[in-house]
Amino acid sequence: MNTLVVDQVSKIYGEGDQQVKALDQVSLEVASDELLLLMGPSGSGKTTLLTISGALLRPTDGSIQVGGSELTKLDDKELSKFRNDKIGFVFQAVNLIPFLTARENLLVVRSLGGGKVDAGAKKRAEELLDELGLGSKGDNLPSQLSGGQQQRVAIGRALMNEPAMLLIDEPTSALDSELGRQVMELIRDEVKNRDIAGIVVTHDERVLDFGDRIVEMVDGKIT
Amino acid sequence: MNLAIKELRRTPGRFLPVTSAMTLLVVLLTVLGGFLDGLELSQTGSYRAHEGKSWAFSAPSELQVRRSVIDANTRAELTDSEGVIAVGQLSQVTTTAGTEEAGLDADALRDVVFLGYELATGVLPEPPVEGVVVDQALSDLLAIDIGDDLLIGPNAEPLEITAFVNDVSQGSPTVWASTESWRAVLGVMATDLPPEGASQVLIIEADSSGVLAPAGVQIADTDEVIGALATVQQQSSTFSGIIGVTFVVTLIVVALFFALLTLERILQYAVLKAIGANTRDLLKTLVTQAAAISTVAVVVGIALSFIFIAFLPPDLPLRIEPYRLVVIAIGTLVTALLGSLFTFRRINRIDPAEAIG
Repeated sequence: MNTLVVDQVSKIYGEGDQQVKALDQVSLEVASDELLLLMGPSGSGKTTLLTISGALLRPTDGSIQVGGSELTKLDDKELSKFRNDKIGFVFQAVNLIPFLTARENLLVVRSLGGGKVDAGAKKRAEELLDELGLGSKGDNLPSQLSGGQQQRVAIGRALMNEPAMLLIDEPTSALDSELGRQVMELIRDEVKNRDIAGIVVTHDERVLDFGDRIVEMVDGKIT
Repeated sequence: MNLAIKELRRTPGRFLPVTSAMTLLVVLLTVLGGFLDGLELSQTGSYRAHEGKSWAFSAPSELQVRRSVIDANTRAELTDSEGVIAVGQLSQVTTTAGTEEAGLDADALRDVVFLGYELATGVLPEPPVEGVVVDQALSDLLAIDIGDDLLIGPNAEPLEITAFVNDVSQGSPTVWASTESWRAVLGVMATDLPPEGASQVLIIEADSSGVLAPAGVQIADTDEVIGALATVQQQSSTFSGIIGVTFVVTLIVVALFFALLTLERILQYAVLKAIGANTRDLLKTLVTQAAAISTVAVVVGIALSFIFIAFLPPDLPLRIEPYRLVVIAIGTLVTALLGSLFTFRRINRIDPAEAIG
């Protein structure tokens, strides 16, 4: 079953002579339990595709469905809730909240949009931290964690709300080879064990063997 | 989870400059408010001694006691009016008071407001048949006690002190006598006095139905009479202007701080929006922090004000009234909340896609 269905999606930035076509009628499907690696040179449109798939950006044209919901029909408030409920993001710069501990960085996802941090949320955060090898680091602030540990906290945050899809931007760009492979292994295991769709944008050819499928983009098109 | 409080607790240094600035502004507001109240209260004690009563002035006097003259006929008319329980004369002059011990040199005499009255109030006792009721402030200046003679007026007429009362000053300390004693002492100043049987104003005790003013008479309550005093108007408008400007400065300080904080946090806010936060979540954080900062500033600022005031000369007209502290606390809190909301538009415009870069 396909979790993500991108159908003839285009994205144009700017107006008039300044127009730039970042995506040109792109179609893509990603199944649950599938880890897709999205590759391509800078400016090829892969980050735009990731951003649109994650309901952070609206396409100029085309249709996006995640878990059967048509994203182009949702308003801004509904998109916020949708992202909170269905999408897990791991950003290139990690972007943990600096004044929250590792555990609180996971729990914060539950408190957004009027949500509450209940006993169930705390239990889930503990389970994720254990699973990610951070059981003893829950009370540490991001500044007290290594780059790899921060990356794992970010993955835990993305998984906190049991999303239908995990979107990850350049997860290994700041890590050495060994750590990079460990992180990719972790991402692959999470996607497989949780039966969710995963898209990883990467330039790193050392991690290609972790993907179920590799899609290349050039000039806003899938090749 | 309260993001705002966690950030305040874990990165207090970030909020120290704005909290310090607001604390100093609260000190300024408290001291200015203390001067405003001190000046006003020290000018109006004799009026506030008649709180709850009505005042009758001759119509052209514009609620100024010394410009007003009410004759005996008008008094009789008011006394017979429906709802009126009692009517009493009240007149005043500015003169001097001294004691035999201190001597009658100009340096030893004190300026006083000498009042003749008929009605007891919650503050003033029944007018003594002989003798005077004296403002406690004069006791501090002349070292006098109950039973001592006070020498009043240009002829230094001796009148025995029968009681002291607090908080009845009118710029100068006040001395209170029965209307008869007042006229007898001031007999030599006949040109300054209202005609026999008349008084400057009448104090009226009435039931809740109020008093109907006869022709040529203006009825006012104590607050209206105080509000008509030129000195009170000038002081109030001057200090209120300064206090208003201080609140505006507070608003600007808070607005600038949160504007800068928002600029610093754009990526953090974009990340929070990307993972599901809405604008309301982010504004709640700012508003909570503004409330917490202003609460700390109010508590510390008021405490510092009391310490500061303790080092000022005691003769300065400065009084800290509880209602003034409440106004400053609420004003500071509201100002801080408004200041924090100036960033609403910027936060609303933050694109969650900025989190991806």
